[in-house]
Amino acid sequence: MIKQLTIWLLFAATLLILPEIFDSLLAISIFNQMAIMIVFALSYNMLLGQGGMLSFGHAVYFGLGGFLAVHVLRMVEYESIMMSTTLVPLVGGVFGLLAAIFIGSFSTRKAGTVFAMISLGIGELVAASSLILVSFFGGEAGISGDRTFGPPLFGIEFTQDLHIYYLGAVWMFVSVLLMYLFTKTPAGRMANAVRDNPERAEFIGYSARKVRFISFCAAGLFAGIAGGLFAVNYEIVTEENLNAVTSGRVLLMAYIGGLGFFIGPIIGAIVLTLVNSVLSNYTELWMLYLGIMFVLTVMFLPRGLAGFLMMHRLPWHLGKTRLLIRPYVLTALPASIFLLSLIGMLEMAHSSAAEFVYLGMTFNSSGIGSWIILSTLTAASFFALRLTLPQLRAAWTAANTQSALKPSTAANGNPPLNPSLKESSN
Amino acid sequence: MSILSLQNVTKKFGQTEIIRGVSLDIRQGEKHAIIGPNGAGKSTLFHLISGRYSVSSGTIHFKGAPIHNKAPYEIARLGLARSFQVTNIFPLMSVFENIRCALLWSMGYKYSFWSMLGKQTELNDKADHTLTEIGLYDRRNFPAGELAYAEQRALELGVAIASGAEMILLDEPVAGMSLSEARNAVALINKITEGKTLIMVEHDMNIVFDMADRISVLVYGEIIACDSPANVRSNAKVQEAYLGEVASA
Repeated sequence: MIKQLTIWLLFAATLLILPEIFDSLLAISIFNQMAIMIVFALSYNMLLGQGGMLSFGHAVYFGLGGFLAVHVLRMVEYESIMMSTTLVPLVGGVFGLLAAIFIGSFSTRKAGTVFAMISLGIGELVAASSLILVSFFGGEAGISGDRTFGPPLFGIEFTQDLHIYYLGAVWMFVSVLLMYLFTKTPAGRMANAVRDNPERAEFIGYSARKVRFISFCAAGLFAGIAGGLFAVNYEIVTEENLNAVTSGRVLLMAYIGGLGFFIGPIIGAIVLTLVNSVLSNYTELWMLYLGIMFVLTVMFLPRGLAGFLMMHRLPWHLGKTRLLIRPYVLTALPASIFLLSLIGMLEMAHSSAAEFVYLGMTFNSSGIGSWIILSTLTAASFFALRLTLPQLRAAWTAANTQSALKPSTAANGNPPLNPSLKESSN
Repeated sequence: MSILSLQNVTKKFGQTEIIRGVSLDIRQGEKHAIIGPNGAGKSTLFHLISGRYSVSSGTIHFKGAPIHNKAPYEIARLGLARSFQVTNIFPLMSVFENIRCALLWSMGYKYSFWSMLGKQTELNDKADHTLTEIGLYDRRNFPAGELAYAEQRALELGVAIASGAEMILLDEPVAGMSLSEARNAVALINKITEGKTLIMVEHDMNIVFDMADRISVLVYGEIIACDSPANVRSNAKVQEAYLGEVASA
């Protein structure tokens, strides 16, 4: 309990001091984006990670929430209603919830392929109608608003990104806390049970469909809040915010971060927002790298980045983390050379100019020399990796094995004798 | 007074009739076994009672109320719990969570998304009590999917009985167990179903004749005998249709 409280207080404190440490405009705008994406990715995980519902259309609730929020900003601007900008994300949330109640009423009947296909269909349907129903969605141009017309809060009129940072941080903190608490309730826990085994859930008194429906509605609510935050932050919402690309991106965030852990999608949202905004400044190929990252995660880290971190709990408890440092460094060296030279070749293949600066060195993509250097490096580091990986694997096994002197129930495979069964066999 | 009553129940899959007019009355508090050769329809009968399948015709009443048109979760809420032949638990959740989830509905939590499970002392104590009863307390925080087979069977049983249902259906509770494991499991079943009505499907004849108050013999979708173990053993029809087959096997 105390430990949990400490974590949440640290989280709040981090949010407070972040803009003091990184005070550039770029950093603040990245933080704002992260806050939005954290809420969005966590709401997605309520479906996939917690509830076992693979959705290809979660952007619908994000986008619809965003559109309604931006309309509210406009109404405030034209003085047809009075509302503080601080409350606009909630409007998005309520609209996301309403949309989820309607769509969830039929789409949560089954999980699995049926659910996934319906979500894909609804996603396409809404994205297509958004280009047709121009008065609400604004066609290709989208709808834009102005967040500064609401009544000021403590004299703040939300003219700067920093103001939005605090607004977003508060909404994000509250949303994350609520989504975390949801996992501790009967409805949240039964969502896990239905994910694991919908049939058995029915035989202990729960309608799997209703359990899914509740998670679905909660996911819609928080996706809508994220959409509302988006509207306040960017003051424009377009079709792009509810189409399949956005739905796919939130899936990537949750998956790369790790579905099985509450913190996973948060990590995913932070990493992918960084990749998105930082990497895209350096290279046009960032989408390709994102795709490669996803494939590698699925293949080698099926439990995501959070799962990778959690894998180290056992070595940590055994006090054997030290064993891993050397093999990690030894593997990281050829691995980074391999990746960097491979990226160098990809960039060279992509570059239209012959002269090409990469990592401070000038390469010539039309000459054969640069290609030879980079491909040799790639091949050499690949073979070096093949030498270091077995060492890493051996070290990993050693770090996860208990020394024979200290037996514990968690690490050895033999279950302790069952006391009640032992009694009855006497 | 019978707690469960089946009247002329039939079940067809396409043209094939698996259950062909079964009528059966289960008395309150009795231990009733259903035996029969493979493919006789024993598991199907369980699925019909527990609502996994719907009946093709006939009626099923539990405590006087019709249940043959009800969904599994509605039947479970009435106090009729069941276990499965193939272990059917929540594999990614901890052993403790498995039992706690099985308790939720009977303790009135329904679909609550406001009560914090960690603070529900009575619920958590009850879950721990059930864990102690089924002998899995020291496996409390293990993922259920990582338990040994016999332990998973014990958990399967625990999930079925946790809610305190009056009537419990056990589908081959000791299948696949070694002799000593099976003996332990039987002792466990006797302990935790005390005072409850029990129907079980079981292949092990020693266990069946040892445990049951009455035995129904199901052959090709029909009950050919329903009597005390001694009478069933001496029943000529049963010997011909079923026990003879076992003896020659």
